[in-house]
Amino acid sequence: MSVGALTKKILQAALFYEIWDAMKVTFKHMFHRPITFQYPREQRTIPDGHRGALGLLRYGDGRDRCVGCDLCEAACPSRCIKVISQEDPERPLQRFASEFYIDITKCVFCGYCVEACPVNALAMTKMYEYSTHDKRTLLFDKKRLYEVGERHLEDAKKYLYAHNQEKNSDESREYRYYFPQSVLKPTQSQPKHLS
Amino acid sequence: MGLKPATNPDVEAATIELSIDGRTVSAKDGVSLYDVIASTGKIIPAMCYHYTFDPFGSCGMCLVMQEGKKAPVRSCTAKAAAGMVIRTDGDDLFAARKKAVEKHLSVHPLDCPVCDADGHCELQDMAFQHGVTNLANAKQKFIPEDTRSLVLDFNMNRCIACAECINVCKDVLMIDALQFMKKGGFNQVVAKGDQPLACEFCGDCLAVCPVGAITNKYSKYLYKPWQMKKTTTTCNYCGDGCQMHLETKDTEVVRVTSPLSWKNKWGDRTETAKGHGGLCVRGRFGFQYIDSEQRLRQPLVRTGETLTDTPWLDTMQTVIDRLSDIHRKHGPESIAGLITARCTNEELYLFQKLMRAGLRTNQLDSSARYGHLNYVHAVRQAVGVGRPLNDWEDLTKAKAILVIGSNITETNPLTAVRIKEAIRVYRSQVIVVDSANTNIAQLASHPLLVKPGSESFLIDGLVKSVIEQDLVDEATTARHPQAFAALKEAMAQVSLDHISAQTGISAEQIREVAAIFAEAPRAIALCAEGIVRQPNGYHNVLKLIDLAWVTGKLGQPGSGVTTVTEEVNEQGAVDMGVAPEFLPGQARFDDPSARERFGKAWDVTLPASASGANFLEILARIRNGQIKALYVIGENPLATLPASMDVKGTLEKLQLLIVQDPFLTETGKMAHVVLPAATYAEKEGTFTNLEGKVLRVRQAVDQVGESLPDWHIMTALANGLGYDWTYESPQDVQNEIMKLLPGYYNLGQPRRVSPSADAYLSNGYAAEVASRYRNHTAQSTPNDGTQPFTLLTGQVLYHSGKMSTRASGLINIEPNNGRIRMNPADVERLGLNEQSTIRLTSRQGSVQAGVKADPDIQPGSCFFPEHFNEPAVKDLMIVDVDAVTGVPYFKSTRVKIEKVGA
Repeated sequence: MSVGALTKKILQAALFYEIWDAMKVTFKHMFHRPITFQYPREQRTIPDGHRGALGLLRYGDGRDRCVGCDLCEAACPSRCIKVISQEDPERPLQRFASEFYIDITKCVFCGYCVEACPVNALAMTKMYEYSTHDKRTLLFDKKRLYEVGERHLEDAKKYLYAHNQEKNSDESREYRYYFPQSVLKPTQSQPKHLS
Repeated sequence: MGLKPATNPDVEAATIELSIDGRTVSAKDGVSLYDVIASTGKIIPAMCYHYTFDPFGSCGMCLVMQEGKKAPVRSCTAKAAAGMVIRTDGDDLFAARKKAVEKHLSVHPLDCPVCDADGHCELQDMAFQHGVTNLANAKQKFIPEDTRSLVLDFNMNRCIACAECINVCKDVLMIDALQFMKKGGFNQVVAKGDQPLACEFCGDCLAVCPVGAITNKYSKYLYKPWQMKKTTTTCNYCGDGCQMHLETKDTEVVRVTSPLSWKNKWGDRTETAKGHGGLCVRGRFGFQYIDSEQRLRQPLVRTGETLTDTPWLDTMQTVIDRLSDIHRKHGPESIAGLITARCTNEELYLFQKLMRAGLRTNQLDSSARYGHLNYVHAVRQAVGVGRPLNDWEDLTKAKAILVIGSNITETNPLTAVRIKEAIRVYRSQVIVVDSANTNIAQLASHPLLVKPGSESFLIDGLVKSVIEQDLVDEATTARHPQAFAALKEAMAQVSLDHISAQTGISAEQIREVAAIFAEAPRAIALCAEGIVRQPNGYHNVLKLIDLAWVTGKLGQPGSGVTTVTEEVNEQGAVDMGVAPEFLPGQARFDDPSARERFGKAWDVTLPASASGANFLEILARIRNGQIKALYVIGENPLATLPASMDVKGTLEKLQLLIVQDPFLTETGKMAHVVLPAATYAEKEGTFTNLEGKVLRVRQAVDQVGESLPDWHIMTALANGLGYDWTYESPQDVQNEIMKLLPGYYNLGQPRRVSPSADAYLSNGYAAEVASRYRNHTAQSTPNDGTQPFTLLTGQVLYHSGKMSTRASGLINIEPNNGRIRMNPADVERLGLNEQSTIRLTSRQGSVQAGVKADPDIQPGSCFFPEHFNEPAVKDLMIVDVDAVTGVPYFKSTRVKIEKVGA
């Protein structure tokens, strides 16, 4: 080791050079905008296309959109959906889902079920906070899914627009609204999009 | 008749040659061009085509180019002709077919997601195949759905007017319940006269509908086709043994479908002689009992007055302790068993093995005793073969069919379809002898409405007039001159005038139908409940065999004397030896060589041959105290036999009554132990149908609750009793049966029997023939005028035994309305109406019931379905026992009818 290098080393040791060098990073960050944020006190802004928990939607007049067609069940790659359908006892000829289950622990958030749905009854929301101590509560039933859909209705609509599932126009909503039409009596008025 | 079939058994069509896609193909002259193309293996789409009926030509999909024609032709309605040059593929044809799909789709609602046919829809497939994505002028029909029918909904928005439903109903089933009607600017399928559909509800229209226009009410919206597990099994209602697909979702049975379907549309019309693959109402709509709430889910053991749920282990311990206790104290003669013919062959075999090799008793019987054994004994006696002599193909191709004492469209609907095809396609003459104007009588060329109970006289008359008119087959009678002389001598005491007075059929008519039967090249006499379940059934079957013999029909291919059975496996029960007189394979129980063979196989000494007891003897021995324990599997004698038999009092005498049944029956309620058994949908095995075909039964769902298959319970019981049985599955039992009865598992292709009466005719015939023609009284109770009505009980189309009354679908169609069916003339004469209550009085007592006018019932007779005991009409009967076969007769009696109210 040369004399110069030795002198430098002693000098650095005497002046606590390493500490100052490390503190440089600290001081630099003191004046820097933080990258992390304080979850859960702070929430992140989520894009409209985000694939979060699934919810079931209702029409404007409060009727269930879901017609129990089982297509989401067929489309689901992780087989987490189970639909049990039957004829609506109050509205003859109307098919509806008497039971609807999504096992969210199995869900891979691919969104295929939303694409398969002919009436846009299913949508994904920005909801992702459903951790629990009891795994059984993660089997979302029909009631829970409608709750999710109600609470996150605006996000669900935005998801459908973002994924081009539904157009934000009256004509498009009209078509979805009247599909599928069951005819009970000949005097029944024809749906607007057909007349 | 239209284009098909070009061949029939008598005339062979000429062979022609034509060119299809450059290949030379030979075909029969005059058949549909579509069939010729299909026979080369090339499938061109066709939505209105089905091989079971004539081509209709409405869908416009089966287009082909024929050389020399500018436009494509519809191949289904075009006849194949010599020298045709046909092209089946090409862009022009694809475009033309696509146009046809677009035409159908433009008026079809796009409600696939909620349609029951989604995923099983020909229009959907065609739209996909032809890439139809854009419909320029789509217009919905907006027709209200017709939900008036009990089992089917008609959504005519989805209809493509292919007319398959109408054609199958009219042409195959000859029911003709559907029609086209112009309504609201569209051609719609409606029930005849636009009324609520009232038909036999076989559901074949539903099966052939290529779209979702006809849907099943019982499973509407409950499924998507891809969600269901499809199990091909054998129906367990009647002896037809139809193949069907049980479609299940998890533990519930959602629907039943048939091999007949629009998906299965390519075939040769002549193949339908073996069955068209359809089902009847019972098979298609009577499945709900399988997962019914009323099913037994736990073994029950009696403690005092009540039956309490008990675990299997405790129950079996009770059964084994008490059974072995009785066996030890009173010997094997104190134990007897009854089993239903709805069990599989394997279970029937195990049952008789348990009784004979285990408990060493020959006191056992099955429900084949209620009638089928009459037929079996008669044909065994005469020709040495113990099963129906003719199969479906024989029936279809017969030139003359004598249907005697069988309401076959109701009891065995699919065998009836074979007779209908004989009428429709092969133009055969059908003679129907019955005491009611049955559906088959309405289709028959020679319906003979005889007085109730006089069928046997009519057979005498037929034999007599065959001999009188010299229609006998010289070749066959000449071989047995002695027998023929004895028959002639017996006939001397029969007079046609007397018969004519007894039956109400003129002597000319009897001669005419006798001539038709005798002169037909292939003639079949089919007898069923009206013969084998009525007094002298055994002798009446023998008389029919006489008729077949003298006319030369016995042993001749395609002719013979046959029967149909009520329960699916009655033939199997006889074949498996569940009767005191038979060992498996119908070996006689007292035949020393057979006894030795089975004794060796089972490593036991069989019970003494004289110790056996059939059904009624078992009841008698319970009464006299000899039998102390009874093991009943699936049978319900308490609800079946009339009160005069005092079954209740008899069963009360037992020290141990074990009932093994899927349901808690009337007999079960009296039992000391009730074991929950599985239904046919929950187990594996085989049934032997009335053609002698051994058909597979496959497990479709898990057993309900803790119920177990009968073979499993019997094996456990045998092991508990210390017999060391090692069966782990029905397959193990099958292996044993295969060793003992080589060739019994015929894979649905029974050996053809060539019946020959030579042994009987040359030996014993002459001595006994006269006795059966002695003129016995027509009714079991003499008619002294105080009881002017004949009361008959029997099967109806919508039910089978008591089990079908547990199927909500069938009860929905035909509930028990407690009404006696009478002729409208009688109803009027007695001053009754639909609201009236009547009292029926026989010598055994009286019951009150409602009235239903039914023009098909003959004046002077009345009818009540045997499936229901509310009111207890069966209790008006007495039981007559056949001296030879021990068959109990209790299906008819004389009654007095009085009005009691409104």
